[in-house]
Amino acid sequence: MGKMGGHNRDQKEMNAPRIFWMLASFFLITLLCSSAGCISGTQQPKKVLKVVPAGSLLQPFAEVEKEFETLHPDVDVQVEGHGSIQAIRQVTELHRLIDVVAVADESLISDLMFRTDPATGTNFTDAFTPFATNAMVIAFTNKSRYADEITQENWYQVLSRPDVRVGFSNPMLDAAGYRSIMVTLLAGRYYQNATIFPVIIGSHFTPPLKAEITEGIETITLPEVLRPKDEKLVIRDGSIFVLSHLEAGGIDYAFEYRSVTEGHNLRSIDLPPEIDLSSPDHAEEYGKVRVILGFQRFSAIGQDRTGQPIVYAVTLPNSAPNRELAQEFADVVVRMAKTGGKGWPASLT
Amino acid sequence: MLVLFCYCAGCTGTVPVSLSPMVTSSVDDFSTWNLTVNGTTRLVYSLDQIRESPATTGNGFAVSTVGIKYGPYICTGVLLSDLIEPVGGITPDDQVWISAPDGYLWVFDYDQVQGNGFITFNEELKEIPSPPLKILMMYEQDGKPLSYDDGGPLRVAIISDEKGMVTEGSAWVKWVDTIEIKKK
Repeated sequence: MGKMGGHNRDQKEMNAPRIFWMLASFFLITLLCSSAGCISGTQQPKKVLKVVPAGSLLQPFAEVEKEFETLHPDVDVQVEGHGSIQAIRQVTELHRLIDVVAVADESLISDLMFRTDPATGTNFTDAFTPFATNAMVIAFTNKSRYADEITQENWYQVLSRPDVRVGFSNPMLDAAGYRSIMVTLLAGRYYQNATIFPVIIGSHFTPPLKAEITEGIETITLPEVLRPKDEKLVIRDGSIFVLSHLEAGGIDYAFEYRSVTEGHNLRSIDLPPEIDLSSPDHAEEYGKVRVILGFQRFSAIGQDRTGQPIVYAVTLPNSAPNRELAQEFADVVVRMAKTGGKGWPASLT
Repeated sequence: MLVLFCYCAGCTGTVPVSLSPMVTSSVDDFSTWNLTVNGTTRLVYSLDQIRESPATTGNGFAVSTVGIKYGPYICTGVLLSDLIEPVGGITPDDQVWISAPDGYLWVFDYDQVQGNGFITFNEELKEIPSPPLKILMMYEQDGKPLSYDDGGPLRVAIISDEKGMVTEGSAWVKWVDTIEIKKK
């Protein structure tokens, strides 16, 4: 009766080590396989979402990036700032695969992207979503000359003083630059003071910049090389350099977007909506000033800039590699723009 | 069984890659590229001819309009002034228009061709007085031929003998193929 009817003691002793090693192997395999990519030691790479916003959107888009990556931990949002025209050119001229483009001038999208991409036969994009507006203001600091004197009523008089230095960004590169010129032209009409543009800007070039008026439209034609002849006027490629100069005390006042001024914790003077390019109610008035750039920096866009209300817009190029994610990102932009915050341009709603 | 388990877990085989396009480097073929220089006369250069011209090397460092720095680089190429001299050179009444096939264009005046009138920053992007600068038509960057991705075969570089001198990037035209001297 020893061998029949079940395991005997020797068999049990033989199976125990086998069971032990089977369990140990299973445990080891599970441990190895539980860390994915165990052989190389690296995790799955994240999906990259390429976003190109205008420079004045960099601070708010840093918040959008953070929010989006929290919602999608498997996505790496890469934000690359440019001037609005250059942002669009990444798609239309440099043929880079960009998922989201956001600009400070919605009209640039229809001008530059509602046209056929020769490589695909379809438009670079077919739609865009306006999501914010902004206003031009006069930025300054406590170090600015006459900082305790300047008001909404006398700002142009203060900026006209010979010992006051004023700055703005290069109109060839930055919409804020040609908008700065427009503000001074509109101010001349609004305050019925034709000296505002010449004294603050025009007379500081050789030859002086003078407005031509045709059929009620006031036009300034800029030279090819925009270099002021004296130190009263400072022009820099990017707004960040103008503001850096302001913060360092190199200039006293700068024309800038309200959102950027707030983002930098600068003092500012608000301008009347009739001249600050913020209000669709005054679009007709804004349209009475025009700036012609000195040369056509990009062959795809003309040299004329006519005053319009400032509207920011976001678009998904038709060549966006991650369309669904890009749409989600754009939706987050629109949502967060409604809430706004420090550094955000004002919501459209 | 170990191998089977590891394969199924993705530990072996192809690692998933990002769906975004990768920038791949390949040997750039610039054999059909040429540079047209228009002044009082017109000259057309191949890349080999430009490389055979007297070369200049200097330090270049650029910054974009939003503060992104590109560089520092050791830039080698031909001085703009040397390229335009054979087509009549430049006078104070002239400007130099430098353009590329992607539609980008930048204009320099006489002072700038002499190395003056540029805004310069230190590496912390604080403005500093400008040292003597030169406009270089760069074909080598850090000892290597300038790749297409970096603006090759020829791009503008604003160079200095000093290191750490940053200039505004708008003037650093990539993919230059045309230089024209025009009256103001």
